Amino acid sequence: MSLLAELQHVSVRYRSNPAGIFSVKDMLTSMAHPFQTKEILHDISFSLQQGESLGIVGRNGCGKSTLLRTIAGIIQPSKGRVSIYGSIAPILALGAGLEPELTGYENIHLLLSLYGRKITSAAIDDIASFSELDNVTLKQAVKCYSSGMLARLTFSISFSQHCDIFIIDEVLAVGDMGFQAKCMQKISDLKNEGRSVIFVSHFPDEVEKICEKAILLEQGKLIYQGSSSAVCQEYKNLF
Amino acid sequence: MKLTLDNVCCMASISLAQKFQKHTFAFIAMPFLNQLYALSKRNVILRYKHSLIGFLWGFIKPFIYLLIFIVIFSAQFSSVKNYVLYATSGILFWFFFSNIVSQGIQSIIQASGIIKSVKLPALLFPMAEVTTELFNLALALVVYFVIMHWFGMVYTMQLLWLLPMLFIFAVFSFSIAILLAAFNVYFRDIGILWNTIQPAIFYLTPIAYTEELIPAKFSFVINLNPIYYYIKLFRFPLYEAAAPDMMLFLKCTGISVVTLCINTFIFYRLKNQFITAI
Repeated sequence: MSLLAELQHVSVRYRSNPAGIFSVKDMLTSMAHPFQTKEILHDISFSLQQGESLGIVGRNGCGKSTLLRTIAGIIQPSKGRVSIYGSIAPILALGAGLEPELTGYENIHLLLSLYGRKITSAAIDDIASFSELDNVTLKQAVKCYSSGMLARLTFSISFSQHCDIFIIDEVLAVGDMGFQAKCMQKISDLKNEGRSVIFVSHFPDEVEKICEKAILLEQGKLIYQGSSSAVCQEYKNLF
Repeated sequence: MKLTLDNVCCMASISLAQKFQKHTFAFIAMPFLNQLYALSKRNVILRYKHSLIGFLWGFIKPFIYLLIFIVIFSAQFSSVKNYVLYATSGILFWFFFSNIVSQGIQSIIQASGIIKSVKLPALLFPMAEVTTELFNLALALVVYFVIMHWFGMVYTMQLLWLLPMLFIFAVFSFSIAILLAAFNVYFRDIGILWNTIQPAIFYLTPIAYTEELIPAKFSFVINLNPIYYYIKLFRFPLYEAAAPDMMLFLKCTGISVVTLCINTFIFYRLKNQFITAI
C-alpha cells in the first residue's frame, strides 16, 4: 500500500461578500469591506492509501464540494498542502461540463478531449453502451435530456477514464434503480482493480457500502474521521 | 475513420502528456492542443447550429456594414479610390477583433460548469475563441478574395504578409480579451460596458473613412488607438498591394508583445479566485 493522496492542514478561503460582488454597484455600496474573505475549509488533514476509498459526509453547505475541488486541484488552498500521487478523474457531478446545445455524441467527444483522453470509436461505444442511452437519444441535444439521462451520460463518460482516484459528488441519487445498481457494481469493480473512490453522499448506507474510511465535515472543519460505519453513525447523530 | 487526425495527435501525446503535466507552459503540450481544438470545434458548431447559411455570416455581416456605409457616406467618399475595397479590408479585421473580445469576455463565465469540474488552464477558453475566429476569418477571406476581384483587388505575393500580420493581430486581440475576461468574472459590468463602447471605438478608427478626414487637432485620438495601426497594416497588402511599412509592422509587433505580457500577468494574478466568482 502506498500513499495516494495527502492533505496537510488545508484551508481554503473564498473572496466573498454578503451581497456578492458581481457589479461595480455592489462594490460601491460595500466600499467599507470590498473584498471580505470567508474560510470555507479550515485546517483539514487526512490521507488516502492506494485502493482505499473515502466517504465525505456533512450538512448541505459544509464545504464538501469545495473539498473535492481542492483535492482535484481546481482550487488552490490558501494554507496547507495537497499532495496527490496519482491521476484523478474529473469530478463527477450532475451535468458537469455538458454543453446543453450539443448532442450526446458531441458532448462525449468534447469532454473526452477536455479530459485529455484519446478518442476512439471503441471508447465512444463503451460509453454509449454503459449509459444504455440509444442512438436516437445520443443524437439529440443534451438540453432535452431528463436529469436521470444526464446522470447516465456524465457517469458513463467519467467511468470510461483510467485513473487512480474517482471523485463522485452526489450523483447516484438521480438514476433509476437499474442504473444505480449498475453504478454500484462499477464502483466495486473499480475498487477491485485497486482504484480509489472519493465519495460524497447524503445516504450513509451507500457510504458504508462503498468506503472503508470516511470524514465528517461541519462548517468547514473536519470534526470526525475514522471507519465509515463510525462516521456515518456520528453523521446520523447530527440530526 | 473520421477522427484519424485526433488519434494520431493523441498517440504522439501520451508520453508528452506525462512530461508536461506539471509544467507551467503546458500549452506547448499536445493535450492542450487537443483541448483547444475540441473547444474551438464546439464554438463553431454552437455558433451556426441553427443558422441556415452558417459561416457565410462571417462575410455577410461586414458586407451589410459596407452597404450601410455606402448609403450613408457615399457622397463624402467618392474621392476614395476603390472605396469598397478600402472599407471592406478594414471592416473584416475589425469584426475579427471585436468578435474575439466580446466572445472572449464571456468565455470564462460561460465555461463555469467545465471549470468547476475539470482542472484546465483558464486561458484555454479565450484562446479557443481566437482559434474559432481565425477559422471564421479564413472562410470569410476566401469569399472576400473571390468577390473583391470585381472591386479592383490586385493579387500579389505581398498577400503572404497577411499571415504574420494576422498572427500579431490575433495576439493583440487575445491580450485584450483575457484582460477584460478576467475583470468580467468579478464585475459583469465589463461585458456590458464593452458592448456599449464598441461602436465608439469602431467610429474612432479610420475603417469607413480615411485618416485625412480627421482634423489635425484630433489626430492624437487616432494615434492613441492601437487598432488603427493594425488596420493600417492590413491595408498594405490588401488595398495597396504593397509590402508593409516595416516601421509600422515593428510597432504593431511591439504593441502585441507588450499587451500580451502585461495582460497575461494581470490575468494570472486574478485567476486563482475565478472559481469563487463564477
